[in-house]
Amino acid sequence: MYTEHRPPRIRALVFALVLALLVTACAPAAPQGAAPEAAAPEASASSVATISFTQEPDSLNPLYTTMWFSGILTDIYLVGLWNFNDAVEPTLQLARELPSAENGGISEDGRVITVHLREDAAWSDGEPVTAADFIFTYEMIMDDRNMVLTRAPYDPYVESIVADGDYTLVITFKEPYAPWVSSIFNYVLPKHILAPVMEAEGTIDNAEWNRNPTVGVGPYVFTEWESGSHILFSRNENHWQQANIDRIFVRMTPDDAAQVAAIKAGDSDIGVYLSFADVPGLQELGTVSIIPTPSGFMEGFFFNVGENGHPALKDVKVRQALAYAFNRDQINQDLLLGLTGTPASPWDLSPFASPDVQPWPYDPEMAVQLLDEAGWVVGADGIREKDGVKLNLRYATNMRDVRLDTQVVAQDMFREVGIGVELINHPSDVFFAAYSAGGPIASGEYDIASWSSQPNAYPDPDTARWTCREIPSAENPVGDNWSYYCNPQLDELFDLQARTVDLDERIAIYGQIKQMMLDEMIWLGVWQDNDMYSVSSRLEGVRISGVDPFWNIADWMIK
Amino acid sequence: MTQYIVRRSLQAIPLLFIISVILFLLMSNMGDPLATLGGRQPPRGADRQRLERQMGLDQPIYLQYVYWLVGNDWRKVDTNGDGEPDTNGTRRGILRGDWGTSLVTRRPVLEMIWERLPNTLLLMGTVEVLVILIALGIGIYSALRQYSAADNVMTAFAFIGYSMPIFWAALMLMYIFAVNFKRWGLPYFPTVGMYDPAVGKTASQVIWHMVLPVISLSITYVAVYSRHIRASMLEVINQDYIRTARSKGLSNRSILWGHALKNASLSLVTLIGLDLPLLLAGAVVTERIFAWPGMGRLFLDHVERVDVPVLMGILMLVSVAVVVFQLLTDIVYTWLDPRIRYH
Repeated sequence: MYTEHRPPRIRALVFALVLALLVTACAPAAPQGAAPEAAAPEASASSVATISFTQEPDSLNPLYTTMWFSGILTDIYLVGLWNFNDAVEPTLQLARELPSAENGGISEDGRVITVHLREDAAWSDGEPVTAADFIFTYEMIMDDRNMVLTRAPYDPYVESIVADGDYTLVITFKEPYAPWVSSIFNYVLPKHILAPVMEAEGTIDNAEWNRNPTVGVGPYVFTEWESGSHILFSRNENHWQQANIDRIFVRMTPDDAAQVAAIKAGDSDIGVYLSFADVPGLQELGTVSIIPTPSGFMEGFFFNVGENGHPALKDVKVRQALAYAFNRDQINQDLLLGLTGTPASPWDLSPFASPDVQPWPYDPEMAVQLLDEAGWVVGADGIREKDGVKLNLRYATNMRDVRLDTQVVAQDMFREVGIGVELINHPSDVFFAAYSAGGPIASGEYDIASWSSQPNAYPDPDTARWTCREIPSAENPVGDNWSYYCNPQLDELFDLQARTVDLDERIAIYGQIKQMMLDEMIWLGVWQDNDMYSVSSRLEGVRISGVDPFWNIADWMIK
Repeated sequence: MTQYIVRRSLQAIPLLFIISVILFLLMSNMGDPLATLGGRQPPRGADRQRLERQMGLDQPIYLQYVYWLVGNDWRKVDTNGDGEPDTNGTRRGILRGDWGTSLVTRRPVLEMIWERLPNTLLLMGTVEVLVILIALGIGIYSALRQYSAADNVMTAFAFIGYSMPIFWAALMLMYIFAVNFKRWGLPYFPTVGMYDPAVGKTASQVIWHMVLPVISLSITYVAVYSRHIRASMLEVINQDYIRTARSKGLSNRSILWGHALKNASLSLVTLIGLDLPLLLAGAVVTERIFAWPGMGRLFLDHVERVDVPVLMGILMLVSVAVVVFQLLTDIVYTWLDPRIRYH
């Protein structure tokens, strides 16, 4: 009896399978061309520009992320007082004018900044954008109940922020604070949406708006976010400037190869943060332009002159010899395909770069001479030594491909002048771990470390990375000065520039800082780590900025 | 049987506890979650100190585990950084249904898993069903016609499929059926994603996007399953009771489906029982290559960021599934082979 009942079930199963396979085989016929424009009536009626990302944003509330891929999106749906154009100049958004001493926006002592807001700005739901929204944003950043990613620059520089009427903000700093233009209110939160959440939950950490900011202020308004797939923005009809393109589609691609495939297939109009190695292949297409964009990031060697570093590195002549021995122009030509240059300082390609400060040239003979003068003589194995100590240096970096390649080339070049190099690689979460978390670089377990750094509030040059107070220790476990270099004179200059509001004076101070750093050779620029973008020829009006790449997205057009 | 199920379930509690301790220790020591939280720039010192406190990362590891397990709403924590505990914590712990919050996205872990789980189940469930059906066909056919030309060909293909790394198969399929087919002007498969967002998440779109990942994953599994089925079937069809059934005059079909396959299924059930819970974890490599927004990709993305709450959520889900499916497998054994009795 049992067996008699089985065959019909099996037959039914097989029938169902065949049916399923038939459906599978037949169904794709419509979309197989993968042509978005022709695929659906609603899609053909609207214009769409596609941007591809290789990393998915952590959050769409800037309070909770400083991730680069999140930050560059804010100009689409959540503008601030101003953003920066492709000439790195402030371009007004919610502010009516840029505060200056001439228009009374900056007080005589440089501590008080007064910002007048535009009165025609509205949230995408029609509510007006007022000073109350900015005050609320400041309060949310400073509230202990919110787990915000950064409080900079409000903590520790801001004394108070108050409203003077609905459309005027008065920001008072504890002392003159030069980097305010690039760091104050890059975004604003909608008080009428988030204040009720704060009231009800005591925090906005879990607000629905953080992931679905359907009310925003920008040329586009957030529409949907499908995790692992895409984020969609639609034109904001309540914005003061109507965007030309109907929708902006941000496609998540898992890695560089998938992004390049998407660009080649025409599935991505804007390629973001491209690998240097992928550029030639894309240039050959003839359908995209490559835009190298300075973004303040400079790849450089950090020398560990602290207790855990090699004793030779405490001698400036050895550090200078390393600079002479390392042909960085060749690295830029061979590994970075001539797409970038050798930086003289961490502030290259900005108004704070001075033409009279030039990178150390490649001169291996000079390197040999300096090492000899420093008393490091070539041993039997070809490696220099002094007082029984070999000149073998630990050269650490993370897993980025071009850094791995650079390690190998540098190892050969240093070997030429009698310096041995041990190559060390850590994943980023280990490499960048703080002293408090046992990070090998922060703890000084290296001699040369290579990574890209950017000033704290780019395009402003302000940094405290090389100051004595930032040296990590048990008392200061989160210090940023992983070179362990301490020079009170340099500290004074760094402190002075942060208080100097006058641009020309500040540029002059940076001239001194750079010369001192170059002479002391505490940082060796390897390449200007420009961001590489591709822009499809079907778009026009795209002007990528290194600070706010999509600052003029409302002006983009499809040909 | 009920007693057996209850006993096994109770035994699972200490097992899961030990697993959770080991996993928590391993995950928490993989790196510094704050190091990559800032993106291209690590967070500045003052923010790092505050975040360590707010996220509870400054607590000893055993206390972090206790908070993950039972929450911290029963004791005061320092919210303002003055060194004095001032407010009760807000976490309830996984035992009370709070799976925690992602350090990276600040979203509830359960919500993030729930968002990806259906995508993974769709992909892996389809693969499992197809693999079982195809492997059954190949395995039975090969066993019934042992050493025939067809058996030899299928054996050869099984070994090729078994030896082929999934990533290689995936990339080759993508290269041929997506990149080159497009170049040759033929209908081509999409390379990434679950659907074309310009078209929408329609059934046909999802099926079309599933074709290459499903084939990539199926190749190896079909090879493994079909070899198991062939071996089991060969063992069974030479048994005395099959000969007896045949001498009784039963039809070949009745013998095959009612006697041979049922008894040969024990090893297949073991294999499926081991594989099914892993379906929840997704296919890390394949999901990455085809940008399938599933659990495997979620795991990989958050491993790179040392996002312990998300990783623990995924791993514990899989651990519980392994325990449950092992129990189910044992129960299925009793149905397949009435001689098996549990006490």
